[in-house]
Amino acid sequence: MKKLATRVLLSALLFAALPSVAGAQSLLFDYLGFDYESPNPNPATFGELGSGYVGLGTVPGLFAPLVGNVVANEYTYVMNGLTPISVTPVGSYLVIDYSPGTLSIYEDSRSTGTIADYGTNPPSAVAPASFTDGVLFLQGAITGFQFVLNTANGTGSFESHFDVTGGAQLGNFALNQRSGWQFAGASGNALNIPAGYAHQIDGQTFLDPPLPTRNITWGKLKATYR
Amino acid sequence: MKLSTLLLSALSAGAFACSLAPAARAAAPIIDWDPAYTWEEGATATHSPPGGEFKLVGTISMFGPPLNFLDATDPSKEFTFYAHGLISQGTTSQGPPTTTLYTTNYSGGTIEVYQDSAPNATFAPFPPNAAVPSTFIDGGAPILTGFFTSFTVQTNNFTAYNVGNIEGTITWTGGTVFGQLSTSGGGPCPGLFVGGATWNPGVLIPGYIFRHDGKIDLQCPVPVRGSTWGRLKTLYH
Repeated sequence: MKKLATRVLLSALLFAALPSVAGAQSLLFDYLGFDYESPNPNPATFGELGSGYVGLGTVPGLFAPLVGNVVANEYTYVMNGLTPISVTPVGSYLVIDYSPGTLSIYEDSRSTGTIADYGTNPPSAVAPASFTDGVLFLQGAITGFQFVLNTANGTGSFESHFDVTGGAQLGNFALNQRSGWQFAGASGNALNIPAGYAHQIDGQTFLDPPLPTRNITWGKLKATYR
Repeated sequence: MKLSTLLLSALSAGAFACSLAPAARAAAPIIDWDPAYTWEEGATATHSPPGGEFKLVGTISMFGPPLNFLDATDPSKEFTFYAHGLISQGTTSQGPPTTTLYTTNYSGGTIEVYQDSAPNATFAPFPPNAAVPSTFIDGGAPILTGFFTSFTVQTNNFTAYNVGNIEGTITWTGGTVFGQLSTSGGGPCPGLFVGGATWNPGVLIPGYIFRHDGKIDLQCPVPVRGSTWGRLKTLYH
């Protein structure tokens, strides 16, 4: 009986580890917000060494395997922990590479929770606090975060790798489908950017197709190691 | 009154008006879409020959004030847009071969937003074709029209996920909900078209150049509060 249990467990692990089906990348969530730097040793410059990148905003679109209720709840995101590790000027552009960070989504009741408020000059009493209240819905590790900014016109974009690591929805993600990537446009030209914020942000995160798995018998597996 | 005093007063009043300008408040975009796809004959993500026409179609996912009376999530309706007539001024590049950034400016161009009671928009491959842009411009008269006063595409050859951005400015000209954009000062504020663009094959449809995730904000001036020199003086008495 003990052997049978071991076989079942190993088979299950093996199924998860060996891939089979490939599919397209799928949209996981869509977000809108603003970014700022904290700390911000040189307010006249964006992406300077020693600064910290913080993005926050709302998440109006949630897609499978996330299960939310955008009518009853407000979903907000906070991106932080990112510090520039290199800044490369290329013509009028800056290419800024960051250390790893975190992207977290929070679920907060629209009726009993606190409405997200950007306020001004973050960090403040309301930001990021009004974006991090509620339940930690999803959390992911951000690596390879790179911001490309045209200093001549104040616009740019960023991208990064994204790995699902935690939050209440973690269990909805199969072990072989927790990786993806994100991208966003950034603009410093919008007149609705609150004081103290640098850019408005519009972004999306995608989930890679599941790592393919292959069915195999216990006997075949043992044979592999003989 | 001495000239110097008059000048000082005028200068102070100006400075005062500036100092009392309330900080911009975060406003939701009037239109947010997901997704939009672009095409341009003869162009690639990093090169657009002069004279090429850039086009894009998209499905709208959300409306913000003052258009939030429109429900983009209503399954019985479909809100789409079509931008076209954007003429390439050619692509310029900066940087060494391994880290090259490309900027393409476009002139002209118009945008139309549609509401359709028979949802059918399809991003069929290799536009233009039987479905694109036709399924994005049906449903009757546009609810909003405008022309671009600037439009810029920025890309590169080094980002891991093939990411750049597109930004433009719009002057609104008409449409059935045009009146909703009017401000107390008269006509509508200009629109700011922004968002990220990717040419990552994993999220692209054959025949299109970019997948665009973007929105349009209204560029309304930040209000200032008028005051008098007398009031200013009382603040310091």
